Amino acid sequence: MRRRTAALALGTAAAMVLTSCSAMSGGDGGTVTVTMVESLTNPTRTDLLKDLIADFEKKNPKIKVKLISPPTEQADQKLQQMLQSGTGVDVLEVRDITVGPWSTNGWLYDMKKDLKGWDGKQAMTENAVKASEDAKGRTYFLPYGFYGLSLFYRTDLIKQAGFSKPPATWKELLKQASAIHDPAKRRYGYAFRGGENANSNVTAAISAYVADEIDPDNGFRLKDGGSIFSAPAAQDAVDTYFQLFKKASPKSSVSWAYPEMVEGFSNGSTAFLLQDPEVIATVRESKAIGEDQWSTAPLVRGPSGKTVQPLATAGWGVADSSGHKAEAVKLVKFLSQGAASTTFTKKNSLVPILKSANDDKFYKTGPWSSYLKMTEQPEKYQVVTQPRGVPWWTEWGKKADADVQKVLLGKMTPKELLAEWDAYWTEKWAKEK
Amino acid sequence: MPIVSPTRQPARPRPGRSSPAKGAPPSGGPATSRRRPEFTARRALTIAAFMAPAALFVALFTYYPMIAGSQMAFRNWKLTDLTDTSWVGLKNFRDVFADPAWSTVLGNTAVWVVASIVPQLVIGFALALWLRRKFRFRGLYQALVFFPWAVSGFLIGILFRWLFNSEFGVVNDLLQKTGLSDEPIAWLADPHTAMGAVIVANIWYGVTFFTIMILAALQSIPDELYEAAALDGAGKARTLFQITIPYIRTTLALTVLLRIIWIFNFPDLIFGMTGGGPDNQTHIVTTWMIRITQQGDYGRASAIGLLIVASLLVFAAFFLLATREKKGARP
Repeated sequence: MRRRTAALALGTAAAMVLTSCSAMSGGDGGTVTVTMVESLTNPTRTDLLKDLIADFEKKNPKIKVKLISPPTEQADQKLQQMLQSGTGVDVLEVRDITVGPWSTNGWLYDMKKDLKGWDGKQAMTENAVKASEDAKGRTYFLPYGFYGLSLFYRTDLIKQAGFSKPPATWKELLKQASAIHDPAKRRYGYAFRGGENANSNVTAAISAYVADEIDPDNGFRLKDGGSIFSAPAAQDAVDTYFQLFKKASPKSSVSWAYPEMVEGFSNGSTAFLLQDPEVIATVRESKAIGEDQWSTAPLVRGPSGKTVQPLATAGWGVADSSGHKAEAVKLVKFLSQGAASTTFTKKNSLVPILKSANDDKFYKTGPWSSYLKMTEQPEKYQVVTQPRGVPWWTEWGKKADADVQKVLLGKMTPKELLAEWDAYWTEKWAKEK
Repeated sequence: MPIVSPTRQPARPRPGRSSPAKGAPPSGGPATSRRRPEFTARRALTIAAFMAPAALFVALFTYYPMIAGSQMAFRNWKLTDLTDTSWVGLKNFRDVFADPAWSTVLGNTAVWVVASIVPQLVIGFALALWLRRKFRFRGLYQALVFFPWAVSGFLIGILFRWLFNSEFGVVNDLLQKTGLSDEPIAWLADPHTAMGAVIVANIWYGVTFFTIMILAALQSIPDELYEAAALDGAGKARTLFQITIPYIRTTLALTVLLRIIWIFNFPDLIFGMTGGGPDNQTHIVTTWMIRITQQGDYGRASAIGLLIVASLLVFAAFFLLATREKKGARP
């Protein structure tokens, strides 16, 4: 009896260890199972992906796709672990901020050869083709769409304040937002970003002011080699930008990030918001403001009449450790062309990757039209590639965010901020060489 | 969840008091007639076999990763480039200390732990004393009080982030409607109030655990002690300090120890509420470690992790020693 219990206990232990260690196995009977992991997860998008995957499986009966959707805050870290261990992932969501480190570590598969002669590439916009290749011409992911800034504004509030048109420049934005701002009535001019990712909007303002001198291949650099933070025009830019906080934004926006900014606009208290197109869907659901009370305008410009659109992107790539690369690439191609891509960008409110979108009615009307306006005038709305793939990008973001908050709290001047940021990038670039 | 059936937490029967605690085996009674089995090699093997699953699990999933991971602290381990993970000695530790934000982070951690634990203990104790009395719907009320403990800290952080929102939050709305404040307070945007706000959220969250533990201990105090005290004419305060608190001292000490460690290791709430801002004023050591991890510098983050483990071990040893001495000094 005793011996049996002992054996039983040992057996249980062994079984527990074995089950937890056993790896996932592939499919059987000729079908291949491809595991796909997403990163910028949200429930609606996951459902959309599942629909698209179902279409793919129908067309490719021998391939099964298993979709894994980790919560977005931890997704990139989960993906890193999977990639590092070399198991459990075939197709994955790669972002412009993760492609650099992940490809350096040899975790991503270069799809260049597989995409040779693929007709899907011809259908892509210039921006999309550019984003799909790194500096050495390797393709680690195919972008599914772009996140780009436009100005959300309240048509009724600017009219009340006596303006006939939405602001076209940062200076006009400051003027209109300050005119509308009235905290006593709980009405705010501008949804200022002071919390997470605050640095991105500061950079957007600076880029607009140095649009004539900026290096299109490295959005943080001037054509003469210095950083954009060292340009004299940058001082004007930050002065105007931080005035927006002082004169036209709620005090608490020191800690405002994406959720507060979007809430501020969609609950009707804030007149201007600089955000990505995905916010269109959210604002449309607002009960506080109706369709006739708001619209979008192109991204505000600098004194030269030009501005810079720092496009952020993400897409689908294949893990280097994948045992089913051919099938994985097939899935990536499927998601990046035709109806699948159009559906994904429309339902997910992204700037599309396909040329055909220019003729699509969907993008010609309502809040979407300002994105079209921007792509139609590439001279005024320059597209630059920010150095988002450098290894220190996240470190930079955290540091820069803290600096922005220091300025907002009066612990640092805008001038010191520029000097600090210039020194940071100059040092990093010098080390790289 | 590390709580092991809290409602059955046995209290130590106190020597020198005559009445035996409920449920504790009476000494010298019929229990001695149960023959204690002989300790043989085979029996040892059985015990070892029963312990094996748990020991194996902990070894495999806790100790092994911990030890394997700790070597990262001495290497150049950056996720952004894993092609060079050479040994760098104490460089990561030096980097941690050289960071100008580190002293702020340490100070914040001290404030965070102390200002959270004291109110949690006091309010938790008061709630437990109150819940000990029998009243209608007590069970339901207990369940409601314990509920926050079952909610994820990150989620609570997000909830409180909105409650404390200056323009759209309930807190300011109430303050203004009751006339306590004229204009909205920028709770999470002002470095002085931000720490206060996260601590308030943490107190709300942690009171529950104290209530659970203390209530369990209270229920093991025999009623006879209170009856005797009442007969002798002891007042409420005297009963509290001379019967209740001494009787549950061990539970109190252990709970405080556990909570200090947990609060120290509780970045979830801060992350949800402020993300460590504004200007790093709400970063504690553990949120700081996560921030470094997010930057991909696993080497430096592991160095911070090791520092945390070491300081908590020293603290726990010191704390246990101190509370044990107190017990020995008691007449």
